[in-house]
Amino acid sequence: MNQKSTKRNIDSFLLYVFSFLLLWEWLRPVEQLTGTSSINIFLGFIFGSLLLAFLGLPLVPTVVLKLIYILLTIQYIYFGNVDTWIDLFLKDFFQNAGSILKGQWTEMSDSFRTLLFFALLWITTYLLRYWLIDRKNILFFFLATLIFITVLDAFSPYEADAAIIRSVLTGFAMMGILTFRRLADSENIQKNGRIKRKWMFSLAAVIAGSAVIAFAVPKADPVWPNPVPFLKSLSGSGNTAVNETKRSGLRSDDSELGGPFLPANMVVFTAEVEEPHYWKVDTRDVYTGKGWISSSRDGQPLNFRRNVPSSLFSFTEKVPSEERTSIVYNEEDHAHIQYPHGLQRIDATSSYRYQLNQQTNGITALNGAEQEAPASYSVQYEHPSFQAKDLEASSPEEADRSFQAIADTYTQLPENVPPEIRELALDITRGQETWFDKAKAVEAYFSSSGFAYEQVDVPVPSEDEDYVAQFLFDTKRGYCDNFSTSMAVLLRTLDIPTRWVKGYTEGTYLETNEAENKIYQVTSENAHSWVEVYFPNIGWVPFEPTQGFTNEDVPELEETTETLVEEETTENIETPVETPEQPVAAEPEPEEEVNDASQEAPQPNVGLFLKTNWKNIVVLVAAVFVMAALFYRSRRKWLPFYYIFIYKRDRQDHHFPKAYLVLLTQLERCGLKRKAGQTLREYAKEIDLLFSSSSMTQLTGWYEQYLYRGSLPKGTWENARNEWESLMKKTR
Amino acid sequence: MTNRIHPGIEKILQNIEKVITGKQEVAKLSLVALLADGHVLLEDVPGVGKTMAVRALAKSISAELRRIQFTPDLLPSDVMGVSIYNPRDMDFQFYPGPIMGNIILADEINRTSPKTQSALLEGMEEKSITVDGVTYNLEKPFFVMATQNPIEYEGTYPLPEAQLDRFLLKMKMGYPTLDEEMEVLQRAQKVPPIDDLQPVISLQELRQLQLDIKEVYVDESIRRYIVELSSHTRSHENVFLGVSPRGSIALMKASQALAFIHERDYVLPDDIQYLAPFVFAHRIILRPEARFEGVQIEDVIEQVISRVSVPIQRHVAKYE
Repeated sequence: MNQKSTKRNIDSFLLYVFSFLLLWEWLRPVEQLTGTSSINIFLGFIFGSLLLAFLGLPLVPTVVLKLIYILLTIQYIYFGNVDTWIDLFLKDFFQNAGSILKGQWTEMSDSFRTLLFFALLWITTYLLRYWLIDRKNILFFFLATLIFITVLDAFSPYEADAAIIRSVLTGFAMMGILTFRRLADSENIQKNGRIKRKWMFSLAAVIAGSAVIAFAVPKADPVWPNPVPFLKSLSGSGNTAVNETKRSGLRSDDSELGGPFLPANMVVFTAEVEEPHYWKVDTRDVYTGKGWISSSRDGQPLNFRRNVPSSLFSFTEKVPSEERTSIVYNEEDHAHIQYPHGLQRIDATSSYRYQLNQQTNGITALNGAEQEAPASYSVQYEHPSFQAKDLEASSPEEADRSFQAIADTYTQLPENVPPEIRELALDITRGQETWFDKAKAVEAYFSSSGFAYEQVDVPVPSEDEDYVAQFLFDTKRGYCDNFSTSMAVLLRTLDIPTRWVKGYTEGTYLETNEAENKIYQVTSENAHSWVEVYFPNIGWVPFEPTQGFTNEDVPELEETTETLVEEETTENIETPVETPEQPVAAEPEPEEEVNDASQEAPQPNVGLFLKTNWKNIVVLVAAVFVMAALFYRSRRKWLPFYYIFIYKRDRQDHHFPKAYLVLLTQLERCGLKRKAGQTLREYAKEIDLLFSSSSMTQLTGWYEQYLYRGSLPKGTWENARNEWESLMKKTR
Repeated sequence: MTNRIHPGIEKILQNIEKVITGKQEVAKLSLVALLADGHVLLEDVPGVGKTMAVRALAKSISAELRRIQFTPDLLPSDVMGVSIYNPRDMDFQFYPGPIMGNIILADEINRTSPKTQSALLEGMEEKSITVDGVTYNLEKPFFVMATQNPIEYEGTYPLPEAQLDRFLLKMKMGYPTLDEEMEVLQRAQKVPPIDDLQPVISLQELRQLQLDIKEVYVDESIRRYIVELSSHTRSHENVFLGVSPRGSIALMKASQALAFIHERDYVLPDDIQYLAPFVFAHRIILRPEARFEGVQIEDVIEQVISRVSVPIQRHVAKYE
């Protein structure tokens, strides 16, 4: 190496530090995505190699040091304290070398792979040194790093957001420093002078500035959906759940629906049932245009011990039904009771009480004062068999007295609901007379008409967009929330009372036990939402608009029963079991639900804000500091204008001495410092010589009068102002 | 730097210029001393025009020039005058010596005995002499220009420091430049111009100028600057004896005169810096070791000036 390349100074040091950071970015995903452990050992090797390169040690000691490090590491990891490890290692080495020659790649042992990895790192650090010192060009490595990271970000679960930012910043800094070095070499510039400081300073400013801009500007949404879930589904379950949001149970807040559905496969409960059925958790009655909340109607939570109060009304006695019992074994802590349609009675240990929330129809279990569901309980319910002819016969004209209240509540719609929804509803139900026919028509509408079931690429509606309208007319893809909400809203536009139900599907069938009961496992992926329609004199009848799902309780149309069943069963047999579901409701704590409804807009929380945005804040603060520093450093340029502006309005002479002193300070900032023993007159001559003017001498003459004579002729400042301003401007 | 000169002073300088070539600075400094009511010690070799300068000055202000050539055998009475018994009056009559004039040229003052020197120097300080118990006031203005030959030390009586302090300024005449000397030669071929010289200012006017000079404003910051300069000479590492408070007064008076000459009614730090070497040089005694190292008093003064910060703001005391 020639002399200047081995020179150690601060920017060489920075270059090596940045190289280390860039190389680190290659190792980070390795740790996360492969089985490689002890990544710190490799980091240590890189660090050591770069340090040796920076210190410029001769070749032989460098090689010896590195070999010792590698061998000791391999011994430490793979051989422990075996005395003969060298023999073992050599044997292993030749064996592996043999298998490489034979092309048997998979035969290699871990220790040999580690050795190869070390060799790779060695070569890389050597190359880095070559790029930094000899070529003075890091672009290739920088690009390779970026491509590597972005590809990993796109096609693997590795989240490279921070890594991309880090790499871009370090890479640009390196390129900036290296560019200066190349320029300095070709132009023969003094490498450590003012120019360098200026260069480094503006480099830092440019990088900081562009980073801030990059942070601040809005970014386009990805053009194609995230391929990771697809890749995951290809590769089976794998260990790819790392980056997923774990959601257990149901959400309590449904006021903002939309966005991707990221299920976690957590078992919520196991159920022992005579026949499979959907599990309700609670219902919602108010559609906001963005999601569902519950109305704040009057009604205290009702306490009960075993028999469910009659206010949990499902259907009338006219509906033929059959008494059944299901047993629930909870596997997850929550307070709500999940129950089948037609619930009559809950049996658990006697210490439990239950609370029915009359707004949401959610049931909370209380163990003493504690909200806690029993580990196991049985639910006794009436399984309805809704008859199509009864439903068709049901009409509002022959409604009972309670109907009006229900109709008022459950046909609510926000005022700004788009009119197209009602037009669509009228279109769909054209020719249908009865409510039941209309409901079935709307339910069937989603099976066709270009709708698609989609969990991930589901957008959140924008500020002024209706959730239902977005799904119906724009995206046409979504999961249960989209389908159920849309059906409920479509029917409401026809003044048919509907409510939105959250709960779970029947789950995954496991086995049939000795008592001929079926065991189902219900996970958070089975979270679901559907619709119930109110029929006068009959009650709440469930409907299932979501593609690929079947609810046994949903009544079928008489004449088309066969076709529909066929159509649905073909799809549903495999899907409902496996297809993940939207987590819908949350712990149905009745009191809280009301609160949720009234607190749609969450309070701004300072702590939370800081926590989520601290990176932005740090960057912002850093940017402000950089700007302030820049501003301060360039004060020579702008201060004159500031002072000219400030003194523009002052006409009294006593401002003149202040202005003169400002001028002196400004001249000093320009590097024209007056020596301590230099009189103002001499200094003024010097300044005038420099600016080829006579202003300074004139001004100084006046100032001398002020200072050494103790008085100023009247109107001095008026006379002096022009000279002063011209000098101030010249100092920029 | 606008260096306007007071019109009256300008005329005197022009007059002297007619006689002496290229010695404006000496002329100006002499006028500073004359106006500040002080005296000048010229340190130079013979033949550079000292006498001529003084004569021109005296003639310009219509003053009487007395010349005393100091020799080892000169007695105080030769300077001050002598009382002789007059048999006719049966009384002693005082015959004034050459000191009783306006402008005295004391040539080679270090050649005479300290006794005679002190007789002159006492008169310089007191502006009066006492002979045989009678005090005679000296003329006004009274201006002594003493010369000293720095080359010959044999048989000389160097002036004691206390006496040197009585001279306001000490300066060197220096040789003229080539051009100037050629001019001197050219002039020497003709009638000596000194004979044609006309007075441009009366003694009365000169006395008034001397009074006016006392009115020149010395700002507090300037006074502080003077004092700081003096005290710096005392603490300077190469100085054995620094400038006395009398030196500070001298500097202030001289700077007032200089400011007046430049038609200013206030003193500038520039005046101080310009005069400091002339006022301070003969009042500073270097340490012997510094003298052996070749340190010059002028260098010391220059250092002091560069170290003391010039006052550039009001009401802000700056000490180093």
